[in-house]
Amino acid sequence: MKKLALTAAAAALCATPALADLDAARALLERYSQLPEFTPPGPAFDARACMADQSIFVIGLSSANPFNVAISQGMLEAAGHVGFRIRDWETQLDPSQWVQGINTAVAEGFSLIDLQGGLPPEFLVPQIMEAREAGVLVTSTHNWDATTQEVPEFMDGAANTDYVTMGEIMAAWAMVQTDGQVNALVLGPDEITPTAPLRDAIIGYLRDNCPDCTTSYINVPFNDWATQMQPAVQNALLADPSINYVLPVYDSMSQFIAPAIQIAGSNAKIVSFNGTPFVLDMLREGDIVEMIVGESLGWVGYAGVDANMRLLCGLDPVGTLNTPAYIFSKENVETAGVPASYNDGYGDSHIAGFKALWGVE
Amino acid sequence: MSNSQIETYEARIAALEHRLRAFEGRLAPPVSRTPVTEYAERYGLLVAWGLLILLLGWYRPDQMFAWNSYATMFGSTAMIVVLTLGLIIPLTTGDFDLSVASTMGLSSMLIAYWNVRMGWGIEQAILMALVVGAVIGAINALFILWFGIHSLIVTLGTGYFLNGVILWVSNSGPISGVSMDLVRAVILTRFLGIPLSFWYAVTLTAVIWYVFQHTALGRRLLFVGRGREVARLSGVNVVQVRAGALIASGTIAALAGVIYTGMRGAADPSSALAFLLPAFAAAFLGSTTLYPGRFNAPGAFVAVFFLSTGIMGLNFLGVPSFVQNLFYGGGLVVAVSISQLIRKRRPMD
Repeated sequence: MKKLALTAAAAALCATPALADLDAARALLERYSQLPEFTPPGPAFDARACMADQSIFVIGLSSANPFNVAISQGMLEAAGHVGFRIRDWETQLDPSQWVQGINTAVAEGFSLIDLQGGLPPEFLVPQIMEAREAGVLVTSTHNWDATTQEVPEFMDGAANTDYVTMGEIMAAWAMVQTDGQVNALVLGPDEITPTAPLRDAIIGYLRDNCPDCTTSYINVPFNDWATQMQPAVQNALLADPSINYVLPVYDSMSQFIAPAIQIAGSNAKIVSFNGTPFVLDMLREGDIVEMIVGESLGWVGYAGVDANMRLLCGLDPVGTLNTPAYIFSKENVETAGVPASYNDGYGDSHIAGFKALWGVE
Repeated sequence: MSNSQIETYEARIAALEHRLRAFEGRLAPPVSRTPVTEYAERYGLLVAWGLLILLLGWYRPDQMFAWNSYATMFGSTAMIVVLTLGLIIPLTTGDFDLSVASTMGLSSMLIAYWNVRMGWGIEQAILMALVVGAVIGAINALFILWFGIHSLIVTLGTGYFLNGVILWVSNSGPISGVSMDLVRAVILTRFLGIPLSFWYAVTLTAVIWYVFQHTALGRRLLFVGRGREVARLSGVNVVQVRAGALIASGTIAALAGVIYTGMRGAADPSSALAFLLPAFAAAFLGSTTLYPGRFNAPGAFVAVFFLSTGIMGLNFLGVPSFVQNLFYGGGLVVAVSISQLIRKRRPMD
């Protein structure tokens, strides 16, 4: 009898379709809907004392990219609080300018070179090796994923971003909004370093937590965004009208996706990552962009400087930036400013937090 | 311009083309051309378009034979048609305009800047953007015609210059929130199920076709392109015609920027630049069909949608994106090569 009951229970269990883990998804969203709080990335130290003879040279991917400009501004502001020498090298997405920047930093005796905001260090290995041989430390801020990608050996260190969590938040949002019935089109440029962790996190989260959810993925290289993204999305929506979410891994892609959704007559919504101001404006004013996972770039700048100072001061290295993710939806997007900015809406707990940590209050 | 004047120009062009053919004939033996060959040359691309639809429809009938697919594609590709139409005017007079995509991008950005940041009305912003397009064309004309610099060099330079202006105006970032009146007038309003952007492209195609084929101005454009010196000796004001063509291409490129802005309700500093190659591809592919050997508006129109149909079908088949590049680049070279074989490899004009 007992055996029979067990068999029946097992059969019933098998017959019940697996349910999406909506509670876990809601908890994740709840956590990242709270205003970011400062978590110290390491113990406090006397930054002014140990940075007295040190200097940092920052090379961004492109000075024409507001993303890199905002990170550099945060770095310059942070360096101003501590009072050490820092230079932001202007570039226009030109590898020869990156090389020139490294050579200048070495020639002028800087202590550390930071390749920030997506500048691929893999393209500059000979120059990086040369700089290191000259005694200059070479690091990177906001380039690799903190958990799924490894920092190459030719770097002295890197302060990375938790892209996996960003991707999981996007997937969880779509899951909760549809009650576990997501049919998502995920898009990304595969050649950009953080695309893989973001893409895999979105698709993996839905695969592991949502049995009735489906995903498809299209790779659109960065240089082809203008010409290929819109036709790719509208044709995907025509081929499968049940697609209810389009999840580009970077929110700047939304400018090409929103018209595709409109022209195809679809009701699909866009959910993405970055917190780029014009996309936050689209979220505030339209009804196609539904949620953006943002991060304060000024905070990224402070956290990058903190990681670099710890490296120069011989302290325990910081592998992950302490910049938290924050969810912007219709409800709170106005806190990002009208028009939106890169730093508004996240609070400024990081400024007081870092200053206290560095002993420069 | 009276009919008799048009006939005079027609006669002069015919005489010029006869002389050119005679000259070519001395260099290479003349080729015999049958009506079948001429028909194949004229309508080859249209037939290829039909075959492409049938071939892709064999694999994806539900999507490739659905009207909605074409309505969507027609609406979203309109700005490339308009940009290509702008480009073929100076190409007809023998000048390259490599700045058209930059002009389109600047027009798009200025509309967004004036409308969103400065609070101008959308009509005023559009009008001023078109004026800026015309001014860019006039500046190109000044350097090409007064200084006597090759159009490739001048327009390459002005294109780069304009890219810098776009970054400066936009502060390197996109501007969203352009008036919904423009978005409604471009993609949200439909006629026969197709967004209005397509019908603007159809109208402009018809206008340029009429000007090229049925007016003395069109004949003069062609005359200048075929032989500047002969045209000048025949009494055509070559400088005026070439300058007019460049100003027209600047203005029409700015119009493409208006449509591009209306499609997205936003402008960004770089994406419009990516349309330069597709526009040139469509212009050259279009010159092999309907009026073979001449840059022509209906040919350009067909070429854009031939290439877009291929891309759409490849999307439906789920092929990787690099295959689209292969199709765009390879399709252009193969189609023009086939056209040349039909023409018995006569040198292209």
